[in-house]
Amino acid sequence: MSTEIFGFDGVNVWVDGLVRVLLIVGFMTVVVMGLIYGERKILARFQQRLGPTRTGPVGLLQSVADALKLVGKEDLRPRNADAWTFELAPYLVFVPVFLGFVIVPFVLDWQVRILELGLLYFVAVTGINIVGWIMAGWGSDNRYAMIGGMRAAAQGISYELPLVLSLLAVAMVVEVPSDSATGESLRGSLNLNEIIAAQAEIPNLVWQPLVLIVFFIAALAELNRTPFDIPVGESEVVGGPFVEYSGIRWSMFFLAEYAALLIMSLIFAAVFLGGWAWPAGLFQDDPWPRWAQALLVTGKAGLFIFMVFWVRASVPRLRIDQLMSFTWKILLPLMFAQVLINGLVLVYDWPEIVLTVTGLVGVLVLVMAVDRAVRHPRPRPAPATQLEGEAAS
Amino acid sequence: MRGILKSLATTLSTFSRRPVTRLYPEGHRDLPERDRAFPVLLWDKDIDEPFCTGCHACERACPVECMTVTMTDNPNHTTNDGNSKRRKIVDKFYIDYARCMRCNICVEVCNFEAIAMNNTWQGHETSVYDRADLVMDLPQLLVQSKAKQLEEWVPE
Amino acid sequence: MVVDTSATEFETQDLLLNVGPQHPSTHGVFRMVLEIDGELVKDLVPYIGYLHRGAEKLCENNDFRQGIGYMDRTEYLAAHNAELSYVMAVEALAEIEVPERAQWIRMILCELNRISSHFMFLGAFGVDVGVFGTPFIYGWRERERIIDLFEEISGDRMMFAYFRAGGLAWEVPLNFPERVREVLESARQGVKDFDGLLTQNEIFIARTKNVGVITADDAIEMGMSGPTIRASGVPLDLRKTEPYLQYDQISFETITADGGDVFDRYLVRLQEISQSIDLIEQCLERLEDGPIMPEKMPRMLRLPEGEVYIRTEAPRGEYGIYMVSKGGNKPHRLKVRSACLSNLQALKQMCVGQYVADAIIVLGSIDIVLSEVDR
Repeated sequence: MSTEIFGFDGVNVWVDGLVRVLLIVGFMTVVVMGLIYGERKILARFQQRLGPTRTGPVGLLQSVADALKLVGKEDLRPRNADAWTFELAPYLVFVPVFLGFVIVPFVLDWQVRILELGLLYFVAVTGINIVGWIMAGWGSDNRYAMIGGMRAAAQGISYELPLVLSLLAVAMVVEVPSDSATGESLRGSLNLNEIIAAQAEIPNLVWQPLVLIVFFIAALAELNRTPFDIPVGESEVVGGPFVEYSGIRWSMFFLAEYAALLIMSLIFAAVFLGGWAWPAGLFQDDPWPRWAQALLVTGKAGLFIFMVFWVRASVPRLRIDQLMSFTWKILLPLMFAQVLINGLVLVYDWPEIVLTVTGLVGVLVLVMAVDRAVRHPRPRPAPATQLEGEAAS
Repeated sequence: MRGILKSLATTLSTFSRRPVTRLYPEGHRDLPERDRAFPVLLWDKDIDEPFCTGCHACERACPVECMTVTMTDNPNHTTNDGNSKRRKIVDKFYIDYARCMRCNICVEVCNFEAIAMNNTWQGHETSVYDRADLVMDLPQLLVQSKAKQLEEWVPE
Repeated sequence: MVVDTSATEFETQDLLLNVGPQHPSTHGVFRMVLEIDGELVKDLVPYIGYLHRGAEKLCENNDFRQGIGYMDRTEYLAAHNAELSYVMAVEALAEIEVPERAQWIRMILCELNRISSHFMFLGAFGVDVGVFGTPFIYGWRERERIIDLFEEISGDRMMFAYFRAGGLAWEVPLNFPERVREVLESARQGVKDFDGLLTQNEIFIARTKNVGVITADDAIEMGMSGPTIRASGVPLDLRKTEPYLQYDQISFETITADGGDVFDRYLVRLQEISQSIDLIEQCLERLEDGPIMPEKMPRMLRLPEGEVYIRTEAPRGEYGIYMVSKGGNKPHRLKVRSACLSNLQALKQMCVGQYVADAIIVLGSIDIVLSEVDR
């Protein structure tokens, strides 16, 4: 069992895997620091502020300073906290996100491993971090943390469904390059590299507009980003599950949050915008150099990240009940319908334009459903006298 | 959805505008001449002594009682072969900046135009490590006016 | 060990959640204890008094010029309006006629202060609803320009101490009308920005419509006032119903809404900013040269015996001063009627039955200033 890395032949697969993982962990940490700086600067611009300016030229070293400060801070644990749950929780949030990077295709043939069930692995592994959130919420022995943890659990599980379904909808109809032996055209793949290669000419963005939007919304919710930052809502639960954390453990949550943002953006770029293949794949005989591909992927992922920041600066937070009804009553039925249509296209070999049309109709339905929900708000609650309650007095 | 798009457009429009914040200790905004920081005493440059005669008017009028004044005979008075017309002059003057509420009343009651609100940045940036350091004595209160760093504005 | 399995129901306990006094969205040092069942608020007990400084008692020990400084500090977001009630109470007892120019300038400053206070509300409220900082900066941006103008006029940014019994402490700068027009221009842009950012946003509407509803009858019973009661459909605006200064000389309509919910309270305030801009422009047209203090003002004001209650329309509602004088240069008793305190009474009624997140925005929509509540 040996493979090739950086031109060295006959490297043990385990050594090879380890080298690649370590490279990615190191690389990611640096990128995450850049992301934090980028977010602060971009949000500042949206708000007509200057953003960080003190540390280094135009504040470039702000994240380094933050990291140093966080590492230097005391790692506090409340006396009544559940020691094991409290201390383990950051790892359960942090590790799955980094495990997810195993399948992320950065450029052509550069990733840790190409897995045939790549997308399945991705959703399975990153789903684990909900456990970490609940553990953080419960272990802190803080009521804000507990409410936040419960919200995180409800939200994480609910939005996992549209997210998985949106990835499924793409994966089931994606055209795999035909088998050279039989010459038959195949459809459906969970292998991210195949999905990207299939988009060499036209990205999935064209075929699956509804799925793209649903993925974006579900990704926002999975990342606990505005308008779905309910578990960590600063003005309500004051940071939610993180409220009791400090120092290095808190920074692990923070790092995981941005690493998740990064991985989500890379998956978005790969699944909907064609990763490194589109439009580079148009010149198949003469593929772009790796650095150009890397720039391409960075640009696509950057677009997603910028959108996330932009939305964060612009919209208010949803309430927990609205969040739940939105996913169960609007997103999920729409995704089921889309998966059904994709299945019909798959079975009966309908032309792909059907996908685009139904997708656009789906977007219209989504917009109308949201408008209708807004026009019919929740009825007024019962007056105070009908609910009995004895608060501390 | 239209409303959300409108929100996004609004933030995008502010994205393209100039920032409204500024770097503070590097660049100081110009203060208006009426700016009120803390009260300081004024220096009579013609005679080279403070305007203040220690008459206690401001001390009595101060709502928070942050001032302490004592009066003495002026050694520079004409009867003592000096060139000053002030028979009495301030001996000690303390203002507790930590108590002062910058209401401008001391300036209004002063009959000699001897006290004014500091309208420079020096008057605003008075952070110290010990609260006791905020009790200003006579030399400290006079230093800016003596060095001609102050263009005071006193209401009529 | 015997386990009793006959019980068919679990015994559940509601969770008591302490919000404040150190919490990002209690707007100061307000504390409330929520009794929650899951995310639903079943009961709410507010606790106030963390910012009590005895401003009323301090005023009783200070003369009428010194008291003005303390009035600033009871209502730090709209200090001009607080000062106005106080000096008007003194003027009413001393029977001083205020020169017309001073009245117009007072009106302009009070309306400007209303704008700045409402912008502050919009900013803080936007953050309560969950937009990350953007409305806050929009609000501060506009407020900052108004405060800069106040600084040019009175010398201070928040604690102006500019009104005096009888008129104004000193004359406004020469470029006053131009500067006010400049500030109004930027305030218009601010209203536009807020309108675009929040008013039509679906998420904002979903969060605020039909939340924290209080009916007109209940609102009257609670003694509410200001934009909070106007949002419930009660056209109570002291500038219109009991005109003071020169408010009867200019034309404006009382802004009301009929939902009585959080969204209406937001909308009323947003519209009031535009209304105030309009009012100030009318005032500027009527502004003429003249004295700013009556001819004969004693050096130390001494009031005759008597008592008076003066109320004015501050940004948060009716700001009243009840003053008893037994002669001398100090009030015998001074009572501040705080609009926020009365408005806050309705908090429980608005919040019970709602979600925890709603309780936060309901509190934000009342727009309390804790220094005015506790004094």
